[in-house]
Amino acid sequence: MATIQSDLEKKIEQALIGTIKRTTTRAPLELKNSLQKVVKEEESDLAIEQLNLMLENFEYGEEKEIPTCQDTGVLNFFITLGNKFPIISNFREVINSAVDAATKLIPLRGNSVDPITNENPENNLGANVPPIYLSISENSSNLKITVLPKGGGAENISKLFMLNPSSGLEVFQREIVKVIKEAGGMPCPPVILGIGIGGDATTCMKLAKEALLRPLNQRHSRKDIAKIEIELMEKINNLDIGVMGLGGKVTCLDVHVEVAMRHPASFPVGLIVQCYAHRWASFEMNEKGDIIDEA
Amino acid sequence: MKHELNLPVMEKDVEKLKIGDIVYLDGVLITARDQVHKRIMDYIKEGKELPDTFKDLKGSAIYHCGPIIKESGGKYQVISGGPTTSQRMDALENQVVQALGVKFVIGKGGMKNLDTTGNKVVYLSYAGGCGAIINKKIEEIVNVEWKDLGTCEAVWFIKVKEFGPLIVSQDTSGNSLYK
Repeated sequence: MATIQSDLEKKIEQALIGTIKRTTTRAPLELKNSLQKVVKEEESDLAIEQLNLMLENFEYGEEKEIPTCQDTGVLNFFITLGNKFPIISNFREVINSAVDAATKLIPLRGNSVDPITNENPENNLGANVPPIYLSISENSSNLKITVLPKGGGAENISKLFMLNPSSGLEVFQREIVKVIKEAGGMPCPPVILGIGIGGDATTCMKLAKEALLRPLNQRHSRKDIAKIEIELMEKINNLDIGVMGLGGKVTCLDVHVEVAMRHPASFPVGLIVQCYAHRWASFEMNEKGDIIDEA
Repeated sequence: MKHELNLPVMEKDVEKLKIGDIVYLDGVLITARDQVHKRIMDYIKEGKELPDTFKDLKGSAIYHCGPIIKESGGKYQVISGGPTTSQRMDALENQVVQALGVKFVIGKGGMKNLDTTGNKVVYLSYAGGCGAIINKKIEEIVNVEWKDLGTCEAVWFIKVKEFGPLIVSQDTSGNSLYK
């Protein structure tokens, strides 16, 4: 592994290690609030018993500083780079170094497996991991990085639909409800859905993943899209899958839809499924490397 | 109904359990997920003997779990160890249950093809994601087999105390809580 040279890169690495630790050992407050709300709404004793254990587990993980879930996921990095932030040419190396250190320190589970040989280096590194998503923000001299650990159980339910443009808008909700129904307890419901409509195959999947980062219970600013989110949530909550598939009123905590213009011949819809333990954490630093915000 | 059971159990102990019951387990169980199931099947196909330590698992439980393990001074410790999705092991589970003689399968999400009636085995679900709090229930790791499969995939023999609440989700009468 290449050594990290500059002070600024070292500061980014340290901030990343702290952020990885926060996101794997505690749950965001908005999530805990959402789950507590479900405890009040639920009528199923089994659902309530499990939700209470989930909330107790979050408290215990935070107190003992250990991963709340053993599946510390694939760590997804979302970088928002201010166009006036000093040039960092080797983000990949800084992130790899932070992941390597965090895996040993916290510790994390080794979740990078060679798909051909089945070898697991137990450091969460290797070919094309971890995934890094970069966007540039104009007129900013800050750097923000959000870390989203994505577990395997929920990710396995994610899907790409390449629909017919003449019926896509009509059928996509039915297709998504069908996938969630068949998945039952597998993705650790109550789930959160990220959905990307339009664009091409890669764009809609990327939008779907990024949609997960929108705060819970926040509707899309476009009314017609917000309506789709609410409709889908209602349909899924009527499935009676419930907490961990054992029945109940709440199967879905939230649905976030994002859109992109589509090709006239295509109607792609990307679905990224997230478990109830929707953890993420972020930091923002200025051009000197001082942390100005942490979540 | 709440049951506190010591592993290993007898067939009559699991026959009493009904869906919706809550179980707490004491004793030694093993973790077994994707690669362990595949290897057990390979051993069966090739007529190879399973490790001797597997012989003590009659009446015990397999836990679909890929834990985070910390090793220090030759001792292993579970850091976090909640359940993984059982459905991935569905196609192989009946034969694995028969080969080991276990009476419980613990995991999350249920198993469509697990023959609970024929095998006299009960499926217990543990709330997904609850990996940290399990530390309160684990006494020690007593053994490990097939460590070459990697930390997450190895067979960890774990001594548990009051491991639960585990929900009886599929019972020996063929009833299931899953839709």
